[in-house]
Amino acid sequence: MTGATVDPAAVTEPDSAGWARSPGWARYLVVAGGAVALLLLGAAAGMLIGLPGSGGRAVPAADSVDVGFAQDMSVHHEQAVRMAIWERDHTADPQLRQLAFDIESGQSRQIGYMQGWLGLWGASSQATGGYMRWMPATNMPGTADMPAMTGMSDGHDMDSAATHPGMSRMPGMASESELRELTSSTGPALDVLFLRLMLRHHEGGRGMLSYAETHAQEPEVRNMARQMLSAQTSEADYMRQLLAARGATPLPPG
Amino acid sequence: MASGKSSKAGRGKRAPAVRVKSTPWGTIAAVVVVVVFAAAVFGYAFYQNRQQSKQADALAPFTPTAANQDPSKAIPGVITASFQAGQHVTPAQRVAYTHFPPFGGAHDYNWAACNGVVYPTAVRSENMVHSLEHGAVWIAYDPARVNGEALNALRTRADGKPYTLMSPYPGLDQPVSLQSWGHQLKVSDTADPRIDQFIQALRRNQYTYPEVGASCDALGPGQFDPANPPAFEASPPGPGAVPELGANGPAAAGEQLRPPAQGGSG
Repeated sequence: MTGATVDPAAVTEPDSAGWARSPGWARYLVVAGGAVALLLLGAAAGMLIGLPGSGGRAVPAADSVDVGFAQDMSVHHEQAVRMAIWERDHTADPQLRQLAFDIESGQSRQIGYMQGWLGLWGASSQATGGYMRWMPATNMPGTADMPAMTGMSDGHDMDSAATHPGMSRMPGMASESELRELTSSTGPALDVLFLRLMLRHHEGGRGMLSYAETHAQEPEVRNMARQMLSAQTSEADYMRQLLAARGATPLPPG
Repeated sequence: MASGKSSKAGRGKRAPAVRVKSTPWGTIAAVVVVVVFAAAVFGYAFYQNRQQSKQADALAPFTPTAANQDPSKAIPGVITASFQAGQHVTPAQRVAYTHFPPFGGAHDYNWAACNGVVYPTAVRSENMVHSLEHGAVWIAYDPARVNGEALNALRTRADGKPYTLMSPYPGLDQPVSLQSWGHQLKVSDTADPRIDQFIQALRRNQYTYPEVGASCDALGPGQFDPANPPAFEASPPGPGAVPELGANGPAAAGEQLRPPAQGGSG
């Protein structure tokens, strides 16, 4: 190219010779046109790349409060949904049927939120190993009373999260034998056992909810924990009233 | 067009003087084609983006976010009140509401189906309020003043729309009243832009309704039957009614929540 411009007589390369002899405006046109084409292509590509929400925030890490809460609260909710589905299908009391449906459908959707977050964060949907490793042992209410608790790390470093192996069962969870008792009960006995198990289940989740409400990094997670806490608190009051109206008492915490 | 013009000019001056290769028309044409193509792609994408965002832009300020949790604060005329959630009454009881239509407070343990139902007749308020607790927006209208095209304009906002329900409300003091848990807006014109703003700001707003994730589906006959809903009661609730803020004392609650007669949602 440069050689051709230096020596106009060299016509061995017809293309570059033609290029060299074309008038100034044509060269400018080609160069300018090429530049515009590149800009437009770049802009179009940038538009396509930039469309889905650019400028995202940091994703919660695998050992974060956000991930641990979403994983463990999903498991906690799954059991509430399981008990509620059973009650809805087997109670004869319309008030209990409506309550069970409310818990079943509401907590199922909340599981949907939490599992959706975990998917977006690239975290696994369920923790492998002990529960509640994302919160310090001292924040676990009633841990001393928990017979199912696995050994905590020698009582050291109890104040910081992720330094204990976690729990084999979360507070409020019903045992398999309690669930068998539920599914073999009928009539008013079924209703009372459902209310007792579900009330203890709601109460047992409070520790995780209040810790996540203040310690999660994502505002949506903190808000969801806060909303769950207040909704389950009024639902627990309601269940206490329903138990009292049936002459029954709540179970001890567990 | 530009290339046609310049080609004439170029040929006139050039062809006789220099007999070798002339202007690289092939290259120019190729560049022009690429430019036109890229411009078309870019222009189309830009236009589409603009069209899409134009519609969204009008309602964007009313979308709830972590930073703007209650966008209805920017809508003139919205009134608010604070209610404790989860205060239940039985189908046989009434609540002494102080707002008309009510937009929070104690409610029937059966919520009204709020999955896009347009009720042709007025429905018992105690059931409707429970739907608000589940995140629904209730569009109420005065049947004496809203009909024909105006009624259709309202209906399109509720019909088949999840977490939305609509019903006449006899004796309403404005043609239209919108309810969300703790929020109310009354308007006189079904074309008022604040209607869509209210819906955008408050329907399933995770920051403003008490029971995030709760359902709008009904269990049917024996509970709440959308095909045969309990009727609106125009008479005063009477002295035995539960206060709007709920009868929260344990003694009152035991009285209030005695197991009801079977199948009594009507």
